[in-house]
Amino acid sequence: MTRYVAVELTIPDNEAFTVARVLQRLGVAAVRVERAAIYERDDEGDPNALVERIARDEAIVNPNKHRVRLLDGGEPAAGEAWIEERSSLPDPRRPRFIAWRLFDDAGRPLARDRVREAVERLLCNPAIERAIIG
Amino acid sequence: MTPRVAVTVFPGTNSEEETVRILVDCGLRAEAVHWSRAGELYSYDAYVLPGGFAYEDRIRAGAIAAHDRMMDSIIEAALAGKPVLGICNGAQILLESGLVPGTAAVRTPTAAFTHNAPVPRFVCRRVWLKAVVPPERCALLAALPKDAIVPAWAAHGQGRLVAADAELDVIRRDGHLALIYVRDDGEADPAAVPNGSALACAGLTNRAGNVLAIMPHPERDAWNVNHPLRARTASPWAPSGGSIFFAAFAAAVREGRWG
Repeated sequence: MTRYVAVELTIPDNEAFTVARVLQRLGVAAVRVERAAIYERDDEGDPNALVERIARDEAIVNPNKHRVRLLDGGEPAAGEAWIEERSSLPDPRRPRFIAWRLFDDAGRPLARDRVREAVERLLCNPAIERAIIG
Repeated sequence: MTPRVAVTVFPGTNSEEETVRILVDCGLRAEAVHWSRAGELYSYDAYVLPGGFAYEDRIRAGAIAAHDRMMDSIIEAALAGKPVLGICNGAQILLESGLVPGTAAVRTPTAAFTHNAPVPRFVCRRVWLKAVVPPERCALLAALPKDAIVPAWAAHGQGRLVAADAELDVIRRDGHLALIYVRDDGEADPAAVPNGSALACAGLTNRAGNVLAIMPHPERDAWNVNHPLRARTASPWAPSGGSIFFAAFAAAVREGRWG
């Protein structure tokens, strides 16, 4: 069965901070931004073993700064946008998606139209990427 | 009065020194302008965005820099007709800012210089470029000698032009394709393209022809000192092949071939 596994930083994410600052400058009210790399893999009947495999892959995970999480499904949650690069050949070492989670000043996921604005103005170059918005 | 050229320095830019040097050698008053001096950019006559990794290529190459305050001034200047040249990462920034090919609103990219193909690896190799637009189409190339072949160095992991087929048709049909990769004898050859770029594209220009984005580095082939066989000659800083590209840029800036 195809599973989706998120690899996230446990240390401060400078790239997410940069995105938050640019979105604020653009007037998109994202106060906090989180980022994850989403890997799409076949679990060969054992999802926990899949997570273990990814967690042990030193090309993907550094246990000192990453955590690995099995996702419930293959779609973004509210406040999220998943960006997929369309222009390169598939590379098993690279994630299928980069997930961006956007939060407002009350810590709530950003409304869908605001996430769409963030996607259109910054997060996705439609010439080479496609976005799925939660 | 000699025109003043701003060579922009974003956090992560790394080619400003040699870019300033070749522009000065070509007779321009060029200086590096740090991002903290963005407010001064309006006073310059022309702009060069040099190579590097602005903002560490966060999100995509050029994406964050395209929204930097420095780009507010440069977009305004470009739309007013001032010359703007982007080299390598500077070219990626110009595509992300939508200034080239310039077929949609600013900051609405319609194309990208993205991961090389077929193997998505960093490429460092000598390349040769040929202008494929008539002199009147792109002011910054107008003074290139007829049939000039410009030597340069490709040094990038993301230099492949990608766009939708319809956009590539527009790029070709409307003269946005400014420079292509060729062999050293000037002949087109897929093997001369270092990165799988669509249309063998090495450089794009906008509709007005005052903005030019090129991926390879002519400034790394601009003096004898760049060449292993000539570096120890009596005149290591004598101009070499790539300097003709900047001589053409300097002529355009000096002669006001824009607007």
